[in-house]
Amino acid sequence: MLMFARLAGHDSIAFGGSVIGLLSLLFGWLELKPNRLAAGTGLSMWQSAGWLATAIVIVLWLICLALSLSGGKALRAAVIGMAANLLLFANFAFAGLTASGLLREEAAFSRVSLGAGIWISVFAAYLLIFSARQKLKGSPLWRGVVSWSGLLAVALLLGLGWLNDVSVVQEFMGNQERFSQELVQHVLLFGGSVAAGSVLGVLLGIWAARSGIAEKPVFFAANVSQTLPSLAFFGLLIAPLSALSSAFPALREMGIRGIGATPAVLALTIYSLLPIVRNTYLGLRQVDPAVIDAGLGMGMSRGQVFRRIELPLSAPLVLEGIRTAMVQAVGNTAVAALIGAGGLGYFIFAGLGQAAFDLIMLGAIPIIVMALVADAAMRFAVKAASPKGTAVPGQ
Amino acid sequence: MIRLEHVSKRYGNTVAVDDVSLEIETGLVCVLIGPSGCGKTTTLRMINRLMEPTSGRILVGGRDISTTRPEELRRSIGYAIQNVGLFPHMTVAANISVVPGLLHWDKKRIARRVEELLALVGLDPYAHAAKYPSQLSGGEAQRVGVARALAADPPILLMDEPFGAVDPMTRERLQTQFASIQQALKKTVILVTHDLDEAIRLADRIAIMESGRLVQYDTPEVMLARPANKFVHDFVGADHALKRLSRIKIGGYVKPAATVRVNASAQEIASALGGHRWGWVVDEAGRPVGWIDARDLPSAASLSEAIVRADTDEIAVARTATLREALSRMLGNGMKSIPVIDGQGRFLGEITLRDIETATAEAEP
Ligand SMILES: Nc1ncnc2c1ncn2[C@@H]1O[C@H](COP(=O)(O)OP(=O)(O)O)[C@@H](O)[C@H]1O
Ligand SMILES: [Mg+2]
Repeated sequence: MLMFARLAGHDSIAFGGSVIGLLSLLFGWLELKPNRLAAGTGLSMWQSAGWLATAIVIVLWLICLALSLSGGKALRAAVIGMAANLLLFANFAFAGLTASGLLREEAAFSRVSLGAGIWISVFAAYLLIFSARQKLKGSPLWRGVVSWSGLLAVALLLGLGWLNDVSVVQEFMGNQERFSQELVQHVLLFGGSVAAGSVLGVLLGIWAARSGIAEKPVFFAANVSQTLPSLAFFGLLIAPLSALSSAFPALREMGIRGIGATPAVLALTIYSLLPIVRNTYLGLRQVDPAVIDAGLGMGMSRGQVFRRIELPLSAPLVLEGIRTAMVQAVGNTAVAALIGAGGLGYFIFAGLGQAAFDLIMLGAIPIIVMALVADAAMRFAVKAASPKGTAVPGQ
Repeated sequence: MIRLEHVSKRYGNTVAVDDVSLEIETGLVCVLIGPSGCGKTTTLRMINRLMEPTSGRILVGGRDISTTRPEELRRSIGYAIQNVGLFPHMTVAANISVVPGLLHWDKKRIARRVEELLALVGLDPYAHAAKYPSQLSGGEAQRVGVARALAADPPILLMDEPFGAVDPMTRERLQTQFASIQQALKKTVILVTHDLDEAIRLADRIAIMESGRLVQYDTPEVMLARPANKFVHDFVGADHALKRLSRIKIGGYVKPAATVRVNASAQEIASALGGHRWGWVVDEAGRPVGWIDARDLPSAASLSEAIVRADTDEIAVARTATLREALSRMLGNGMKSIPVIDGQGRFLGEITLRDIETATAEAEP
């Protein structure tokens, strides 16, 4: 046992991921249902995809397991990372193939959905990818490949129609128009609120950093708004907005009502304020006062000090705040569907209502992907904005 | 050049600067000194209008500074501070270029100036121009701070503890270097410090302050010899005589002395010593490497055995050093005389303990 613990200490995240990956084979891999809503029968991987596919997956997990026990060189991390991406790809590729095969023999309304086993594998694969990323700090290229190749490969499978017989995709086909409409709405809701939150948050942050009077109330408000659960917040806004809208018909004509996009954008904007205000404030306050004193003493105007010193030195932290706000807003926007604002949350709540798991996934998967992409894009922006000679925040 | 007339600065009930009048002549170094919180920084910062006096006025070059736009005034006054305040996101070259840039110099002229200044403060332009402040040592950063303050060749330099944030050895080196730069450039300098040795080493005039008031304004010699009151007396301490020594350069006290080559023959030694008991031994390059005692010669098996070898840097002092350094070197090595060397380390002559005693007596102003 001691020996086991010592070995596992080499890379416990990758080790855990590999074990979870192997255990995932014990769960239902695909689920065959007579129709969209009925309960299905779970099928293990070897029952549905056959022994060859199962053997390939097991070998890949075993390779990861072995490597996770053999220490943390960058090359090994790259191999583990690539194997994990391959596993991601293989699981979906086999699932697509198998689904098509199964459906050929079944009745017209039958569905094949992805079972718990696949989702557990995805989780396990990302544990491996996460641990590999940590060890690949030195080479951005490999880091990128390890982070994204599996996801891109699955996207490619989707694009090629390989997964068309998987129930989530069928759900998508059935709701294609609605899907693109809600996707656009989601992006607009979350993009608009984060944009508004960024402008307002940066201004409030500057104000709080500059004025001793503003500091306390600004942070109090931002902190309180952050502690409210998002649904409660949406609800709280319904009453005053409906009152406003019935009192002033002009507002109603502009689309300002108690439910719909207005309260959603308002709540999401207020939500995104705290991280942006906080980071703007910190960004400005962490600038060494001696640097500002030197700038003024050398004859820079107050505006020049702001533009040429404070702005470039605080930009990375401000962007880091916007990144947090963005990732948070992508998820919170899903809740906005509950007050009639639309967005991908619509599918989640509709799916919950109908107990249609695939419909839930149709909403949840793009939200997760959007959060990942927004996070990666903003991390890149933070790095790009960090002046040479200073540290990159959050790294 | 700079005139403060009854200048006061109050913060609420605190009087940071209390009715200070002071005139600083062109080309001189005026050191503001006093205990922490006595108003030195406030006084300095009123001269470039980073602070406005509550009452009184300040003239620079005969003109009341409150009539000049602050930014314009500051671009004509160099400013260096204890925490250096280099812009961390700009290279050394970009840091130095700020004021010339604000004054719209053309690019070529700025580049030439950066090179010139880095060389002036003893940094290799090729090695340092493209570095970021985080890549510099404390001493290098302070040098760049001084270079930046000198960038647009301002006639006036304000320095607030510019050598404060480095170790004592580096500080001494920076002070020596600053003294030689100042000798060449002849700026009008106001330097704030709380380090009396620094003041005595660098000042042409010392202004000593106590809780906002100017207590005495004199040359260092006068201040050491005739403190205006008990506060100044206590501040400069009991070792006046020793402190005065650090105002006097060795140069005038160097005397010729007998030298012997490392590889000289017995006969050459005898003629070189010419009846003296002691002689300095120099190597081929002319650097003192030890000494010889005539009485050891007969008993020594060979000439090289008779030489008492020593490290040049340990026994010798530079001609540019002060009598205080010479004295400390003598006491440290237990010698009554030590060799004096030039910039290349070559022997110039010697200085004796007796000379220093004489100098101490003469230096009484
Ligand atoms: N911005 C300020 N507000 C209030 N009091 C100040 C301020 N700046 C300096 N003081 C006070 O003025 C006095 C002189 O300060 P300062 O000029 O910085 O002294 P020194 O540089 O000699 O240490 C101190 O008592 C200090 O507390
Ligand atoms: Mg001070």
